[in-house]
This record gives sequence, C-alpha cells and structure tokens, in this order.
Amino acid sequence: MYRVSREAVAGAPEALRLVSVTRVYGRDGADGTAVRALDGVTLSLPSGSFTAVMGPSGSGKSTLLQCAAGLDRPTSGLVAVAGAELAGSSEAELTRLRRQRIGFVFQQFNLLPTLTVLQNVVLPLKLAGRKVNRARAVNVLTRLGLGERLRHLPAQLSGGQQQRVAIARALVTEPEVIFADEPTGALDTRSAREVLGLLARSVRDYGRTVVMVTHDPVAASYADQVIFLADGRLAGTLREPTADAVAERMTRLGAWDAAEGADTLAASGAGA
Amino acid sequence: MFQLTTRSLVRRPGGFLAGFLAVLFGAAMVMAFGSLLDTAAQPGAPESSVETLEVMAFVVGGWGLALVTFAVVSTMSLTVRQRAREMALLKSVGATPNQVRRLVVGETLVLALVAAVAAIPVAMALGRLLFAALEESGQIEAGMSHAFGPVAVSMGMANALLAALVGALVTARRATATHAVEALADASGAGGGGPLMGRGRWLMTLLALVATAASVTVTLTVLDGEGVDVINGAGPGVVAASILLALLSPVLLRGLTAVLGGPLRLLCGVSGELAVRNVRHRTGELARAVAPVTVFTGTAAGTLSLQRVENLQLRAEGAAILEDSRTMETMNYVVVGVIAAFCCIMLVNTLVSATAFRRREFGQQRLAGATPRQVFAAVGVEGLLVAGTGIVSGLLASVLLLLPFGQARAGAWLPDDGAVWAIHGAVASAALLVTLAACVGTAWRVVRRSSAVDAVLAA
Repeated sequence: MYRVSREAVAGAPEALRLVSVTRVYGRDGADGTAVRALDGVTLSLPSGSFTAVMGPSGSGKSTLLQCAAGLDRPTSGLVAVAGAELAGSSEAELTRLRRQRIGFVFQQFNLLPTLTVLQNVVLPLKLAGRKVNRARAVNVLTRLGLGERLRHLPAQLSGGQQQRVAIARALVTEPEVIFADEPTGALDTRSAREVLGLLARSVRDYGRTVVMVTHDPVAASYADQVIFLADGRLAGTLREPTADAVAERMTRLGAWDAAEGADTLAASGAGA
Repeated sequence: MFQLTTRSLVRRPGGFLAGFLAVLFGAAMVMAFGSLLDTAAQPGAPESSVETLEVMAFVVGGWGLALVTFAVVSTMSLTVRQRAREMALLKSVGATPNQVRRLVVGETLVLALVAAVAAIPVAMALGRLLFAALEESGQIEAGMSHAFGPVAVSMGMANALLAALVGALVTARRATATHAVEALADASGAGGGGPLMGRGRWLMTLLALVATAASVTVTLTVLDGEGVDVINGAGPGVVAASILLALLSPVLLRGLTAVLGGPLRLLCGVSGELAVRNVRHRTGELARAVAPVTVFTGTAAGTLSLQRVENLQLRAEGAAILEDSRTMETMNYVVVGVIAAFCCIMLVNTLVSATAFRRREFGQQRLAGATPRQVFAAVGVEGLLVAGTGIVSGLLASVLLLLPFGQARAGAWLPDDGAVWAIHGAVASAALLVTLAACVGTAWRVVRRSSAVDAVLAA
C-alpha cells in the first residue's frame, strides 16, 4: 500500500504520512471492552492530491481523519503533515500546529453563528495572529460565489452556501492539507455537486491537498484516488475512480465483511 | 403528553438543575420568613414580639417574594430557551402550539413542585436561624418558640408554583409564536431575533420606575427631616431601583458593549472581538446574568450605606437608640444578607448553565484554531462586560436613593464619610469576583473536559 502510493507520487512532495497508526478506544484489558478503531494504518499522500476515504460504518474512517488532522491522538504510530510530525504535549501546542497546517470542512459546517461570512473566513488568521489580508479573503469568497453575502450571518445562508463559506475558511490559511468529513452529508444533490467541484478545484487551482471521508460513491468519484478501510485497516485503493466502480467495491467490502471476517478482508483488500 | 413530560425530566435531570435550584432556594427563603408568621400566630405570643415578627415577615418576606418571582421566571425561561431546538423538532413532527405549551408548563410545574417540597427542610433550618437571631438581639421576648406551619408552607408553595408557571407561560408563548422552520433556524444559535425587551418587560419596568420615583419623592417630601422614619421610605426604594435597572439590563448591556467594544477589541485582540460579537448577538441571554449582579450590587451597596448614614446620624444626635431603629437595622442587614445570597445563587446558576450549554460553540472556536487560552480570554471579556454592566447599574441604583436619603436624614446630599464609598467599592469588587469566577470556571471545566472534536461531534 505504502509502496504503491510512493510510486505514484514520485517527485511530488509528501503532504501527509501515517506510519503504523493505531487508535484504541477504551482500556485494552482482560474485560475485552477495548475497540481497535485503527489498526496499524500506514499511508502517504502526495501534495496536490484529492483522496477520498471510504468504508462501511465503523470501519474507522472518521478516526483516521481525526488522527491525521491532529484532533485525536493515536495510541501508537506517527502522523506527519508536510514532513513535520503532528505531536504536541498540550492542547494549545496541538492547536498551533493544526492552525498552521490544516484546514477543516465538516458535515455540520461549524461556522460561528455570531460572525458574518467574511469574519468567519478570516477568523483562523486572526486567531493565529497572522496578518489578515481582507482583499484575498474577499477574492476567495467571490470565486466561491459568495461575493454578495460577505455581511450575512451563517443562519441567513442555505446549507450549500454555508459549506462554501467553510471551504473558503479552510482555503484562506493556505494549509498543507484540508480534511473534509462527510462535507456533503447535510446537502441536497445540487449543492453537494457544487461543493465537491469546489474541493476538486481547490486541489487543481490552488494546489491544495484534500482528504475527504465519505460514504457516498458519487462524492468519492470526484477524488483522484479512493482509499478503502475495513475494520480499522486499509483494504485497497482505487485510482481515477468512477461512482460505479466505487459502489461495486463497497458492495464487495460489505459482502466479504459478512462472509469471511476482518482479517481475510484486509488481506485481500490490500492485495487488490 | 404527560409521558413526554416525565420522560424528558427523568432522562435529562442535568438540564433542569438551574431551574430546580432557583425554585428550591426561592421557596426556602419565602417559607423561612413565612414561618415567622406561624410563630407569631401561636397562642400566647407577646404583643410586641408579634409585631416585630409580622413586620419582619411582611417587609422582608415581601421583597423576597418579588425577587424570588423575578429569579424563578428568569431561570425558567432560560431553561426552556436552551431547549428551543427540541421545541422546534416537536413542532416539526406535528405538535400543535397548544401541545408544546402544555409540555413546557407541565414540566415546569412538576419541577417546581418537587423543588418546593425539597425546600421545606431547608426553610425549617433557615427559619430557626432567623428566629434565633431575633431572639438573641432581644427584639422578641425570650421564652417564645419557633414554629413552622401552614402559613410558611402555603406561602412558599404558592409562590414557587406561581412564579414557575408565569416563567413557563412567558417562555412557551415565545416558543410557540414562531413557525417551526424559524424555530429550527433560530435554534442553530444565531440568537438575535425579536425585540430586546418584550412588552411585558417594559410594563414591569414602568411599574418599577413608578415605585422608585415614589420612594424618592416620599423621602424628599413627606419624610424630609423625619428622623428615624426616613429609612423606611428609602430602604424599599433601593430594592425598587435595583429591580428597575435589572429589568433594563438588556438595554444597558447593549449600550455598554457599544461603548467599550472598540477599546476591548484593541486591548484583547481576537478574543475581545469574539466576546464583543457574542454579547451583541446574545444580549438577551447574557442580560439574564446581568440582572442578579445589578440587584446584588444595588441592594447590598445601597442598604448598607443607608444604614451607615443612619448610624452616623443617630450617634451625632446622641439619642438613645430606640427599639424600633434596632429592629430596622437588623432587618436591613437581613434583607441584604438574603438578597445577596439569593443573587449569588442566581448569578452562578445562570452563568454556569448558560456557559455549560456552549460546549459546541467552544468546540467550533477550537476548530477554527483558537487555543484553550483564547477561548477563556473571550469568556473572560464577556464576563467583564456582564459584571461591568451589573455593577455600574447597581451602583447607580444605590446612589439614586442614597443622595435623597442623605438630604432628608442628615441634611446633606453627599454623605461626608469615607466608609460609605468603601462599602460601594467592596460590594462592586465582590460582584466582579463572583461573576468572573463563575464564567471562566465553567468554561474551563467545559473546555478541559473535551477536546475540540468531542465538542463538535457530540453536538
């Protein structure tokens, strides 16, 4: 898996690297209540790539994203963003690393309700104590079709518009990686298509790296490659995905899951 | 509908804690003073003691009643408002406004009843303490015994249930007046929406204004130069003026934020800006915390300094201190103690429940890149604005009565005594300390206990 990715990106700098990342929830004791949400995941994503992470419910998609984004700490293993290890002894330190290198887009938008569109977009810069280039923020928002809405509050916008604000907010700090967690989960088909197009454009036009967790094959088809997860392990990749190919692979993942159990699945998935 | 009521109470006791505590302490206070009437009604109680007990119960208890009503109404509507989203969901699955109202009122009455019953043992202990204090200072004859009976219980129960009912009705009306879609949008946290002060609030403000004006006028005319009687006019006026300014707190908070917004942003950077924005959009909610600060500062500073001026004057006159003025002095201290304790409880209650409810918002700030320290700083600035508004208006309420009192009692508008102003300073510092501790303490607990992602994903 790791080898495959590296071959594919020969020459391109590395945006995100995970080495043997394991995340265990609960105590790993005799009572057997511990859950291995991620089990030794190793992967490397080149700068300027758009990757979708897919898998059945409970496969560890969200845990992967949270560990990779420095929102959660892996139980063991290493996470590096643009060559720098994402580790901090305190929440404050971790926050500083996050806001320098990482942008977020979430299903529930997570815009601050009391700030206007423009204020929401420049907030990360202000919090980081960086110079606020308003013209640039306005420019990004205008390109995302929100030029007329700068002074609106999030509650006055549609879901699709709010998600576009969230994307603008993620773009304006020029992060190494943008993490998107089910970014279209709360949107109608048309808004979803717009948002996915924008994410793809931010890779193409702005040279950003996007990692998106989704369960929607159509959403995944916007990415350059899809990584499949099952039971906390990598279960294969698909390059230049089409919605049909992704759906077919997902169906197989589900079927294998039921028929054979996790280990076989991970092995055959990795070989595929 | 009743099933839904009991289930939502039993399943989420935490969400109702603030309302429960407000009713419990309020009812305990009213019952404790009510028990003085029970005591006075015992056969064979000496005439003079009966009078003292009744004055105490009616005057202090009466003001307590007004405060308790105000506090319970305010807390109840806070509790219900925090569940605006749940109400909106109920409406969107087909609950009629009437059903929502019945749910809110049902819940509130069950809660108030339980809290009022729980208040009985607290009130018995409190009443005994009150009685012991009166007996010890010799204001009632020795040999009487304290009684806790039907008057206390019925006064407390009736007050708790009525206040809770009014609070629930006021809020339910607001919750049901909006359409389902609007309610859902509103619950997303934008706040704002609707006028700063409703018609009912303006009406109450007008009443408080009349009471304050009457008190000032009476002090300056009828009671001018009437010696020990002057304080009977000015004392209640302090409470009325405090309530008046507490009712105006949304307007005052907005005003102060407008004035201090710029400087705070310059001084505190992005945290200051977040705080100012938040206060501007949630003026109504935060004003609930301003009100107890106002009442605390106003009544404590006002009553204590009136009493100080009175004591100075008595000493200057060299008159033998009369039984009456001693009762009055004790009563004033009791009033201050009762009101201060109650306001502190209300303030902490309101701030803790309002801050704990902002878990998701703090998570969102963290995700946007705020360090925990930046989040606390923003909450601290909000606390400063809340405390500042309350303290300024409380001091104003105090001075509003202190000046006419000084003129009527001692012939000088401005008391020539450092201690009077020291009292104001001490009360203001206490108010500031309690407010900031409650704000930042709760935020600290909320932020420390959850990482940014927990907060957002849990919501």
